[in-house]
Amino acid sequence: MSEVLNITSLSVEFNINGEYYHAVNDVSFHINAGETLGLVGESGCGKSVTSLALVRLLAKSAKISGKALYNGRNLLDLSLEEMHQIRGKQIGMIFQEPMTSLNPVYKIGSQISETLRLHNKISNDEAKRQSLEMLRKVGIARPEEIMEEYPHQLSGGMRQRVMIAIAMINNPQLLIADEPTTALDVTIQAQILDLMRNLSRDFKTSLLLITHDLGVVAEMCDRVAVMYAGQIVEQGLVDDIFFNTNHPYTQGLLNAIPKIDVQNKDRLQPIVGNVPSLTRMPKGCRFATRCPHAMDRCKMESPPLMEIRENHQSRCWLNDAKVV
Amino acid sequence: MIKYIIRRILESIPTVIGVTIISFVLIHIVPGNPVRIMLGNHYTPLRAAELTKTLGLNKPVWEQYFIWLGNLLQGNFGFSYTYEKPVASLMLQALPHTIIIVVVAVLLAHVFAVFLGSVQAYFENSKFDQIATVINYFFYSMPSFWLAVLLVIFFSIDLPWLPSGGIVNTQLSNPGFGDWAKHLILPIATLFLVSVAGWARYMRSSMREALLQDYVRTARMKGSREFRVIFIHALRNSILPLITLFGLSLPALLSGALFVEEVFNYPGMGLLYWDAVNARDYPIIMGVTVFVGLVTVIGNLIADILYGLVDPRIQY
Repeated sequence: MSEVLNITSLSVEFNINGEYYHAVNDVSFHINAGETLGLVGESGCGKSVTSLALVRLLAKSAKISGKALYNGRNLLDLSLEEMHQIRGKQIGMIFQEPMTSLNPVYKIGSQISETLRLHNKISNDEAKRQSLEMLRKVGIARPEEIMEEYPHQLSGGMRQRVMIAIAMINNPQLLIADEPTTALDVTIQAQILDLMRNLSRDFKTSLLLITHDLGVVAEMCDRVAVMYAGQIVEQGLVDDIFFNTNHPYTQGLLNAIPKIDVQNKDRLQPIVGNVPSLTRMPKGCRFATRCPHAMDRCKMESPPLMEIRENHQSRCWLNDAKVV
Repeated sequence: MIKYIIRRILESIPTVIGVTIISFVLIHIVPGNPVRIMLGNHYTPLRAAELTKTLGLNKPVWEQYFIWLGNLLQGNFGFSYTYEKPVASLMLQALPHTIIIVVVAVLLAHVFAVFLGSVQAYFENSKFDQIATVINYFFYSMPSFWLAVLLVIFFSIDLPWLPSGGIVNTQLSNPGFGDWAKHLILPIATLFLVSVAGWARYMRSSMREALLQDYVRTARMKGSREFRVIFIHALRNSILPLITLFGLSLPALLSGALFVEEVFNYPGMGLLYWDAVNARDYPIIMGVTVFVGLVTVIGNLIADILYGLVDPRIQY
């Protein structure tokens, strides 16, 4: 299978009061053609920064290193002009905030057709026709009227459908969806996920799905990368992540999902504590302070990402102990 | 929309009437007597009493006010004491001169301020931004009459390129358009420089905020180039505060034009008003006051209408 995206040792540093701190630290993953990769983790672990870094939408002050190969071209080395041609045409992106991601002063129709016209030499009428068709594909009822309406006249779910239309209209090879359903209510979430799954299958688009919701991951993804405090802590096929869970953090995330069928239904099992702050990263394993299995070694040495079975890696000293 | 405009105009009538009452009372409280100024060297108590009676100044102020208001409602602005001409015709003569400098200065200042503020916001804290900020504050803190005098010193005396005042060169037998335009440059430049500075500051902060919005990120994600991101996506959102300022600037510029016209001896509404105040020419003072009141109302109305055109979330 060919790789659409291959990220190697991606690091992002931000300048906080004159010093640089890693928000993303040595992250590597790849996405095959037509595949859906889930990037999972709690808020502040560097998921969004990773995605914005690879399309180069972070503030200029962010220091990015590593490689992000898109079809063999390193996105981090391309000129601005080359990036303009890739964004919106080859890589589409959907954001978490449907309420504010559309420009409030332009009509829906013109915001969709803009994406077409930026990348294709087509007439007004043709752009309008294709935009209308795309609105139909994302399941918007009465698209002719919606074309003439403004974002504030639409609900959150409809706006996210419009965002999907904008991201997908040029038939990109890769779609990055950064928490696309987080701001929506549950019934709409399912519809939007369904829509994204169907569209990416029909358009043969690879999908990088960023989420903190393991339910979404189970439903959508082929493979999963779990991020914690700027690092990938576990990576593997979706079945392995759910049924052969290795890293204590992943286990913690799974335990934290509310279940309706278990006996002790009155108690959720949260992961105690908080994500360490950028400026005070622990020396050893970054999860050690919250980990129920933490050993002395975990506090001193940072564990590497270890291959624990084929296509399944985990960043935990427990695996090393087993080997020894 | 039309309903809204009519309602706004009706609502503004009490405001304008209130303004006239206050101005009328104030101008009568201010020391100085038009009769004394009119008679000058020919002053005798008898003549003064006669003239006071002819002008109706012997009546109580409230009665004078209602006579004036009654005339105004019939479209009669009264008769100037000093020029002995109808106030309306004096104002009509002066108005085009003021309109040309104010409108040109406002439009140029707005276009330039929008552009400068946007570019400053985009290159926030760069050398360019810092230098522009210093220059902005320099002109922002400068009173218009002082700037006008400086411009006259530089461009009319040190470098005699431009006329120091008036609207025509009386020494030319056939002063054409070029000569007229030359007389407009310094007054327009003064008004332009004092307005552009403040507006550029507003534009800078408004654009700064707009550039951080999610829809700007969406625009970039679509593949828009930076010029498009700034001037198509962010601009229309960040220009709203400047539209409000545009409405407020019309009357403010008329009063700013007052000092500027005085310095340049430029025969517009400002100079007419200035001379009238010095001569206690009440009918002219009141006429101009009503006019400025109307311009304020109209300026705000225009701003509100523009607001609705730029931002689809606002509907009337």
